[in-house]
Amino acid sequence: MLKATLRSFLAHKGRLVLSALAVVLSVAFVAGSLIFSDTVARTFDRLFASTSADVRVSPKEDDFDESIPSGDVRTLPASLASRIDRVDGVAATHIDAEVENITVVDRHNDSVGPTTGAPTIATNWAPTDRSPVRLTSGHAPRGDGQALLDADTADKKHVRVGDTLTVLARPGSFKVEIVGIATFRTTNPGAALVFLDTDTAQRRLLGGPGRATSISVDAASGVGDAALKRNIGHVLGTSYDLKTADEDAKSAAEDLGGFLDIIKYVMLGFAGIAVLVGVFLIVNTFSMLIAQRTRELGLLRALGADRRQVRRSVLTEAVLLGFVSSAVGLGLGIGLAAGLIKLMGVFGMNLKSTEMVVGWGTPVAAFVVGVGVTFVAAYLPSRRAARVSPMAALADAEIAGVGRPLRVRALVGGLLAAAGAAALLGCAAATRTATASSLLVLGIVLTLIATVVAGPLLVRPVIRVLGAAFPALFGSVGRMSQRNALRNPRRTGATAAALMVGLALVAGMSVASASMSKSFDDQIDETLGADFTVQNANFVPFPQEVTEKIDDTDGVGLVVRQRFTALAVRLPDGDRVKTTAAGWDARLDDVAHVTYAQGTSAQALAPGHIALQKEFADDHEVRMGSVLPVEFPGGRRASLTVGALTDQETNDFGMRGGFFVGLSTLVTYVPGGQDSAVYVNAAPGTSADTLRARLEKALDPYPQVQVRDLADYKALVHDQIAVLLYLVYALLGLAIVIAVLGVVNTLALSVVERTREIGLLRAIGLARRQLRRMIRLESVVIAVFGAVLGLALGLVWGVAAQQVLALEGMEALAIPWSTIVAVVVGSVLVGLAAALLPALRASRLNVLAAIAHE
Amino acid sequence: MGDADVVTGVVAARARGLTKAYGSGETQVLALDAVDVEIARGRFTAVMGPSGSGKSTLMHCLAGLDTVSAGQVWLGDTEITGLKERELTRLRRDRVGFMFQSFNLIPTLNAAENITLPMDIAGKSPDRAWLEQVIDTLGLRDRLKHRPAQLSGGQQQRVACARALAARPELIFADEPTGNLDSRAGLEVLGFLREAVDDLGQTVVMVTHDPGAAAHADLVLFLGDGRLVDEMREPTAEAVLERMKRFDVVRGAIGDHPSPRT
Repeated sequence: MLKATLRSFLAHKGRLVLSALAVVLSVAFVAGSLIFSDTVARTFDRLFASTSADVRVSPKEDDFDESIPSGDVRTLPASLASRIDRVDGVAATHIDAEVENITVVDRHNDSVGPTTGAPTIATNWAPTDRSPVRLTSGHAPRGDGQALLDADTADKKHVRVGDTLTVLARPGSFKVEIVGIATFRTTNPGAALVFLDTDTAQRRLLGGPGRATSISVDAASGVGDAALKRNIGHVLGTSYDLKTADEDAKSAAEDLGGFLDIIKYVMLGFAGIAVLVGVFLIVNTFSMLIAQRTRELGLLRALGADRRQVRRSVLTEAVLLGFVSSAVGLGLGIGLAAGLIKLMGVFGMNLKSTEMVVGWGTPVAAFVVGVGVTFVAAYLPSRRAARVSPMAALADAEIAGVGRPLRVRALVGGLLAAAGAAALLGCAAATRTATASSLLVLGIVLTLIATVVAGPLLVRPVIRVLGAAFPALFGSVGRMSQRNALRNPRRTGATAAALMVGLALVAGMSVASASMSKSFDDQIDETLGADFTVQNANFVPFPQEVTEKIDDTDGVGLVVRQRFTALAVRLPDGDRVKTTAAGWDARLDDVAHVTYAQGTSAQALAPGHIALQKEFADDHEVRMGSVLPVEFPGGRRASLTVGALTDQETNDFGMRGGFFVGLSTLVTYVPGGQDSAVYVNAAPGTSADTLRARLEKALDPYPQVQVRDLADYKALVHDQIAVLLYLVYALLGLAIVIAVLGVVNTLALSVVERTREIGLLRAIGLARRQLRRMIRLESVVIAVFGAVLGLALGLVWGVAAQQVLALEGMEALAIPWSTIVAVVVGSVLVGLAAALLPALRASRLNVLAAIAHE
Repeated sequence: MGDADVVTGVVAARARGLTKAYGSGETQVLALDAVDVEIARGRFTAVMGPSGSGKSTLMHCLAGLDTVSAGQVWLGDTEITGLKERELTRLRRDRVGFMFQSFNLIPTLNAAENITLPMDIAGKSPDRAWLEQVIDTLGLRDRLKHRPAQLSGGQQQRVACARALAARPELIFADEPTGNLDSRAGLEVLGFLREAVDDLGQTVVMVTHDPGAAAHADLVLFLGDGRLVDEMREPTAEAVLERMKRFDVVRGAIGDHPSPRT
């Protein structure tokens, strides 16, 4: 029996290629993502472990969630170092004066920082044997006006020793001459680094001598890090954070982990799509192979093989397929990881592919996924194979029948669909985001399964309608292609399902994102009244100089500043809420439209007062005039009086409660903060265009901020939503590739199955061109069927998802019709593309050989 | 029959020096060896011969289904040797009707659609009156909406026969049309082919190995080892059977002669 199985596997290997490809792709994504994240994790673990000081002393950290940075740099007195020096077990201390997220520009006012979102870091030059960089040309910075630049940035931005750069630091901009280049000894995580001498760094970056951002401590030989930490702790008390090298490396790795996790999850998303779509392909292939081999299986049964043996033979074939595909996929995954590592290099993160980490978990995962998926997918077909009766050996070769009635599918599909619909309706009716989103997920999963299960039932009615015009348009060729698509609803359904899954996701996501964009547009129209906003794309604060330049620009009528800070509020119901609050200049009403349930902007922004959203206030028993204890960063505390309650829906993620205060209040408690946005109105008599031109000229030296009018601001928001969509489109791309493989697979096997019929048609005069058209039309019908089902499902999901968004304040519903039309047109193209090879193959069949085909 | 007959349109198809070889060199096998043959218009011709005699190959070459190694073939006054694939396809579609032993019908089309398929492919509308006559002659009136799977073997062959007749082709080729039928259904189909010739004025060439079937023809051509070896007018089943027995004798005498493909 095993011999027969092997023979059969080898005999059909051509027909298994496409299924194998689907498995290969999903295994490759799984393996690639694991290898990549292991490699990155190992590299950074090593980097952090080798560069962390034995003990680091830094200002006490707050437990706030800083979703929008305030721009405040926390420092400690540098004199602390001399106190630590005297602690038992300390060999040496180093002052760190390091600022992240600054901007450094060249003489053309172009930023030399990374364009990838990685920070530009300015720090003091204090080389130790733990420094991640060493000086490779020039000399160390000496005094004001000298700096080092890291070699990668210098290379990329063509900066040479002797060039002058401008550092836009919080205390003020200053020019530096590059006097040397520092090169990474280890992996460059992608940031740009500027080094100043310690004194300059303290004054220019931190705003005064005698400050430090942290103090690194070296342990004397024989003293453990933990023991040293304890010793220092005895001297300094609890007013500072102390971390050993291990703890420091761990928290640095955690900070980076978020970013790496995103890459990992994206890759696993791709793997998931590949697996999901691949399953349909494999099920279909095995079903068709078994249908074609009915007589052969019947003969085996007639010769005495029992059902279990037949089933096992099919499953063995599947496992063989899975095993071979997994091995190939693993190899491809290593290549994929190498490619990703290269790609990271483009973004400035120089990982070495030679240090690629293939943990034991990777091959295990690869084979579990590959073999597992194939086995599961082949299970149902194998049971069907086992049911072939010995009589089948004697029956006529005509197969391709309708198969068993679809009653079970109708029942199961109907029940699932009803449950899914109920979940989606529940989601629409729910009033809490958490409930609504879990119902949404449940509804999506249930309706997806329902559509897959009931797909074959929809084949007849939908394709009758879709292909109704075919006989009229394409004559008997059209009629035959339509009927061929209807011939085996199970097969057509499963083939189209692969496409459906991908398109449903896209349709749903695009409805959700279009609705988000529209809601934001509406909200911007409703609330933003300023002629221009000056800010950068991610609310990173900018130095005071920028605001001063705006103030000084001719034709500026009104300037309203906005800052943010993290804070914690103790509410009357006992909750302590950690959130981010905004601080506004007094003339808020001139640049924004805030609707108040109670109070006014003047009351809200008055010193010592705070405003919040009414709904949130009601939930937490806050009323007008309530006094709320508030904690600000750095341990400052205040009691603020509720001056106004707003009717605003808040959709600023991370800004729970919609808290805001007057800028003067914020400056009192967070004195080191920087402006995050400035709203500008033109003075009477100055046109918007004139003002814009002047603002842009004045702000040219500050590439980190941009001037935007209402339309630009909307475009910015749209772009940020679009990033999400690009990811979805990439997933769709993969799903489509595999779905096309599925359609090709089905058509190719159908052509094999219908060889005699094709021979007959050719004999009685069907031209090759007509035959190709027949197969193309069938393919288009299948693809469009998948697209229609997918779009319908996706629209339902999108509308339900919008109901969840509405609970978060995004109330507009927008259906992106252009995307939908594009998807339908695209599916026709997909169908045409998928038919290319099968059609060519069919038209090349030798007529006589085809007629004689068994 | 001489060349004069071609001019007057008495010959439906003919071949001169028709040779079909498989393989090359030492292993070359001649399926047809310089065959000269003419098919008379308006007659029922049967081609007989033992397995491997080349009778199917002859039919395929005459019908433009297969290429020839040497020689010439005409359908009416069109030389089909040398025609391109596309022209051959059109010729088969417009001027030739086919019946095969089995798998004659497209399973997704009903009987009526199968019958008019060649004309539908060509984008021509059928001659309604003729179509009605064919359908009535073959007794398919109440089966038109049935799919092939819903028809018996005999009914399926009648539909195939109707399809072959529907476009009123110059020539109908029938390859073992009764091979898969029981004797009653087989007789019925042969009767229809006879009627097509006698009443509808069609030309039919039938390849068969069944002397009983051949007896329905006007003329039986005997093929042996790729050559036309004999012919018999007004055949009877007994006479054909006797003639066929002589092949066995010859073959027995020659012994292990390699048999070409049919």
